[in-house]
Amino acid sequence: MHIPDGYLGPQTYAVIDVAILPVWAAAASRVRRTLKSRQVPLMALGAAFSFVLMMFNVPVFGGTTAHAVGAVLIAVLLGPWAACLSVSTAIVIQALAFGDGGITAIGANCLNMAVVMPFVGFAIYRLVSGPAPSLRRKIAASGLGAYLGLVAASISAGIEFGLQPLLAHDAAGHALYAPYSLAVAVPSMAVTHLVVGLLEAAVTMGVVAALARSDPALVAMRPASRPLTWLWAGLGALILLTPVGLLASGSAWGEWAPAAVKGMVGYMPAGLQRMSGAWTAAMPDYAPAFIKDPVVGYVAAALTGAALIAAIVWLVGIALSRRDDASPVPTDDEEPS
Amino acid sequence: MIPVFAHIGDEHGRRRSVARRTADAVGGAVRELLQNEDLAMGPGLMQSLDPRVRLTTVLALAVTASLVRSVWVLAAVFVATMVVAAASRVDVGAFVRRVWASAGLFAVLLAAPAATSWFTPGRALVTLGPLTITAPGLAIAVRLVARVAAGAGVGLLVVWTTRWTDIMRALTSWHVPDVVVAIFAMTQQQIVTLMRTVEGTHLARESRMLSEGSTAETRGWVVERMAFTARKSLKTADDVYDAMLARGYSGAWPSIVRLRTRGRDWLWLCGCAAFSAAVIGADKLVAR
Repeated sequence: MHIPDGYLGPQTYAVIDVAILPVWAAAASRVRRTLKSRQVPLMALGAAFSFVLMMFNVPVFGGTTAHAVGAVLIAVLLGPWAACLSVSTAIVIQALAFGDGGITAIGANCLNMAVVMPFVGFAIYRLVSGPAPSLRRKIAASGLGAYLGLVAASISAGIEFGLQPLLAHDAAGHALYAPYSLAVAVPSMAVTHLVVGLLEAAVTMGVVAALARSDPALVAMRPASRPLTWLWAGLGALILLTPVGLLASGSAWGEWAPAAVKGMVGYMPAGLQRMSGAWTAAMPDYAPAFIKDPVVGYVAAALTGAALIAAIVWLVGIALSRRDDASPVPTDDEEPS
Repeated sequence: MIPVFAHIGDEHGRRRSVARRTADAVGGAVRELLQNEDLAMGPGLMQSLDPRVRLTTVLALAVTASLVRSVWVLAAVFVATMVVAAASRVDVGAFVRRVWASAGLFAVLLAAPAATSWFTPGRALVTLGPLTITAPGLAIAVRLVARVAAGAGVGLLVVWTTRWTDIMRALTSWHVPDVVVAIFAMTQQQIVTLMRTVEGTHLARESRMLSEGSTAETRGWVVERMAFTARKSLKTADDVYDAMLARGYSGAWPSIVRLRTRGRDWLWLCGCAAFSAAVIGADKLVAR
């Protein structure tokens, strides 16, 4: 996910490079307050761990290997602000000492992997694990957090790529930087990472479980400081930003309407024709029928979707709590046998 | 049946084990880091400049490359990075190979679909079955690859000609907070330490295994090693801090080398500014 130089135009990387500075300042201030004077080696070792973690080849299938990013794992171990600094440090060193990732894209890479990924992942982790989780629930929460954190980071990168043709093009309308529109870049990045995220989740769960067995204090729950407030504020901001999607022209890659497919390949596939009318969505095209304004319709659809997902997560949380109450799984405070 | 000796696989063209691949990758990274340090300590154009000037130059060239639209001007920027690399006693062949291996080939793969009529309609150049390569699509793809190669070349200049301690000195003189400089400096040292640990554990597994084991078993072992590395990292922090205190750490990151900008540094900066201006001017002329 390391973006090299050349994919993002100056309109994008300059804004992100400047915007990331107050985030780093806030993270440094937060870490200094919580970790006191011993922060320096802890941050350095966290950053070194973040760097080295990406070098572990994990077997996937058929003799192939992949690697994890580990930002959510570090957020679970050190907290999201410390993870932000650690992963940012690793990204800067990768760019300047190893040539991995662009110099102008350092801000964008840090935004995706050191801000979006650990904060989204950690928020999911806190939300699902609850205030006093059992070990099993904590492991499951870390896996879900890692999975969704990586997918969120990939969507963030996809948005950065997909904005390029809109922001920078020549007189003929041809892209000067990353050439694919939002409709192609976002689904491509998201779908790829929906698969790759399984590895990230498995690795995070495995490491959290192994650490909980050998050294439970390392994965002890840190006191939450308004995590849900931040989560809801971030969610609200994202909902308000959803109309940005209207800027994209055409359909998302692979999500074409039957008529569009017919136009591209010259005929209507029989299966597609048969199945396309099998289900009618309550809000087709993210636009409730009774709302005429597309911007208001997008926001209403985002609100409805977010409320539905929150309700499902809440119900899953209740179900896991009941299961934990009935299960004799040891908690963090108990010594592993 | 005698199992395959995974550890000799690479010598005889067989598939290397996961442990061997990881150990090789980590060992290669450590070796590269040390080679870069050697190269950066040697004689050469970039090495002779004040580190602050080097970083400023590289940043300015990276921004310049990002502003250019013409493929020919981008190619000229890449050639300029090769000339600077050669003047800095860098093996130009290795430089070009590294640029393509690290960014160029991936850019080709990523840009290739944009050259087709699926993404960029326009005048057809070549038709290969269902694929049609269009003129504007090819121009978009070639421009992206040229831009990425130029950017990677500029980035590689700093990687191969600047020691990490020089970057720390430059950051200190630019009044970057001491705590940030200390974290960067320590991280680089700890990365080498942890990489050595990771290489050692993987080589140890390689040397005592007759066969690689199942995918699930190997994955479980890798995850256990990750947990071990995390534990080692976090548990070492207190010891490292105590060692720092024992050596007189007081929050500052002192350096016995005092950076001085000399006449040739200013001359180089002026030359780079003129080059950037010429590149942008030429790009505007070509784009007309």
